[in-house]
Amino acid sequence: MIKSNFAEKYRPSLLQEIVGQEQAIQDAQKFIKEFPKKKGLILHGQSGTGKTTLVHAISKELNLDIFELNSSDLRNRLKLEEILKPASEQHSLFKSGKILLMDEVDGVTGTDIGGVPELIRILEKTAHPIIMTGNDIWDSKFSELRPKCKLVEMKPLSVDNIVKVLQSILKKENINENIHYLKQIAIKSQGDLRAAVNDLQTYVLSDQTNVNFLEERSKQDTIFNILKKLFQERSDHLNLFDTTKMSLDEILLWIEENIPREYKGKALAKAYLALAKADIFRGRIYRQQFWRFLVYQNIFQSAGISYAKDKPKATFTKYERPQRILKIWLNNRITAKKKTISQKYARYVHCSTSRAMQDFQIIKKIIASKPEIANNLNLSDEEMDFIRK
Amino acid sequence: MSQSEIWTEKYRPSVFDMMVGQQEIVKRANALVQAMNIPHIMFAGPSGTGKSTLALIIVKELFKDKWKENYLELNASDERGIDVVRQKVKDFARTKSIGVVPFKVIFLDEADALTQEAQQALRRTMENYTNTCRFIMSCNYSSKIIDPIQSRCVVFRFKLLEKKDIIEVIKRISEKEKIKITEEALETLYEMSEGDCRRAINLLQATASIALDINAEIVKMIASSTKPTNVKIVLDYALAGDFLNAREKLLEIMLKDSVGGTDIIKAIQKEIWTLQIEPQTKVKLTEKTGEAEFRIVEGSDEFVQLQALLASFVLAGSKEEI
Repeated sequence: MIKSNFAEKYRPSLLQEIVGQEQAIQDAQKFIKEFPKKKGLILHGQSGTGKTTLVHAISKELNLDIFELNSSDLRNRLKLEEILKPASEQHSLFKSGKILLMDEVDGVTGTDIGGVPELIRILEKTAHPIIMTGNDIWDSKFSELRPKCKLVEMKPLSVDNIVKVLQSILKKENINENIHYLKQIAIKSQGDLRAAVNDLQTYVLSDQTNVNFLEERSKQDTIFNILKKLFQERSDHLNLFDTTKMSLDEILLWIEENIPREYKGKALAKAYLALAKADIFRGRIYRQQFWRFLVYQNIFQSAGISYAKDKPKATFTKYERPQRILKIWLNNRITAKKKTISQKYARYVHCSTSRAMQDFQIIKKIIASKPEIANNLNLSDEEMDFIRK
Repeated sequence: MSQSEIWTEKYRPSVFDMMVGQQEIVKRANALVQAMNIPHIMFAGPSGTGKSTLALIIVKELFKDKWKENYLELNASDERGIDVVRQKVKDFARTKSIGVVPFKVIFLDEADALTQEAQQALRRTMENYTNTCRFIMSCNYSSKIIDPIQSRCVVFRFKLLEKKDIIEVIKRISEKEKIKITEEALETLYEMSEGDCRRAINLLQATASIALDINAEIVKMIASSTKPTNVKIVLDYALAGDFLNAREKLLEIMLKDSVGGTDIIKAIQKEIWTLQIEPQTKVKLTEKTGEAEFRIVEGSDEFVQLQALLASFVLAGSKEEI
């Protein structure tokens, strides 16, 4: 087997296999049908929502050829003229028609001189629908392109939808895995299905004895190795996090989770002191959008944690994945009723939902005391059951 | 119209004269309404001191029976993202006001929940629609509102209600609801409310749902059963050196009872003085607590900061230097 990347292996090839993008599919089909009312379609949305997949599935469904340019081609004017333009004027040899796919248009950068204006010129002349995909279509360099195209957004996938896909993959692979764990992967992916599928392959399946996963396994080792070096060696470690693709914020969660498993007493306090400092700078980065502060976050998070202890250590510690985000999410599910009741109450009495949730114990008693109140608030039967509990 | 059975609504003052406390502010607000012209206004002060109430009175007096058409209430902490706020504001402000007053009013509650960037955007919106739309904003801390917005508003600072004010409100409601309440119970209600009138009324109603004859014991019983923030067990674990359990318990309390980081901090700060540790250690822990609160208010992650604070308690428990 040459390649068994799950994201590729299980990439949907038919429209009906695509999960959670009903609206986008409908809009894109309509665009092809109505062509040349609008000549270009921009599918936009964050990574892993299925933009490229959708284009390929549509071409299959409608029996159209795809002529594809992706971000590895330099999209300057000459190149575009050379390739895209003749393609837009030729008729497809065997199939009924053709789609021109320009993947990842936001990759058209300053070095692709004249790329966007040329694209617009070709749009005006093309005999075939042109579909473009991109993450951030609101960038000013696309301001002239946008009005000439139909815009269709691909929304981030819901946690439930992602879990559904992960489950169906595991079923096909004949593997059982705890649903909570799948949820954790789904939440972490933030709506990016490809990332979730990759994580599934990396984390869940790395326990399987299969040589094809060796590469992925080494990726998984990285964070554990990083933690081991950080907690056990005593060194600056300023470049320690360069070896992982994880963001500093994500690493912070891993450190937060595992400090008490490794350090005790004085070292524990010092390590958290450093982590708290890293967190202060993280907050400032977000509030002021001042990315230079990343340097400080990095130093407190690496050297700060490493030097919290007086001397190196060499014990075996079993590190855990960050639990906090999962717990918050699970809790939100459990307290969903509490939230909807609080929302209704808050609207009614002109206060905020968070205030209402804080005083929920008192409010619950008040609501339960008179049936008229439930009427005032328009509470559902399920919500009343929750109140009576 | 069916009358509300929630007392905070049922007994919410509907005219200026009924407002309790904040006399200076009420007088000035009344004068503005009489002139049929209000500037952008900001109400700053703690919860339950009458900010929303006064905003509602202003629009009712201003627009009379047309107030519902000319008034939009938004809660910044509920409405996700500035885009939603902007869109709603735009849609609302685009059409002309109905009646004699040439503008509409938007009440933006908990404006301090907006991020800096959102506030910057809001400032533009305020400017663009100032002819057709006036803002009344409320916030707990005016320090969290950016200067350009503050400078566009007349700022009124609400104070916590005084004991006599809260007691007056409670007495008034008790009479109407035919509740017998002892002097001592009134005092207790005031203490539990900490100057927050909404909480005082809610507590009264919750208590009255059990007994119409109210004494201090019943009030205390209700208040303690509803007081969610019990951090003692968290601190006990930490002092015993069991950080993992302390952390788990902390997260559990925060999630189960929807308690925010600053409320946890307040509870910890009070609890410190009941702990069995050296007095000078208490002072040091208080310093750490204050620092953590400052950082959270300033925008750091509350759970990370609280863990750092718990680590200090672990040190205190093992009699190490903090």
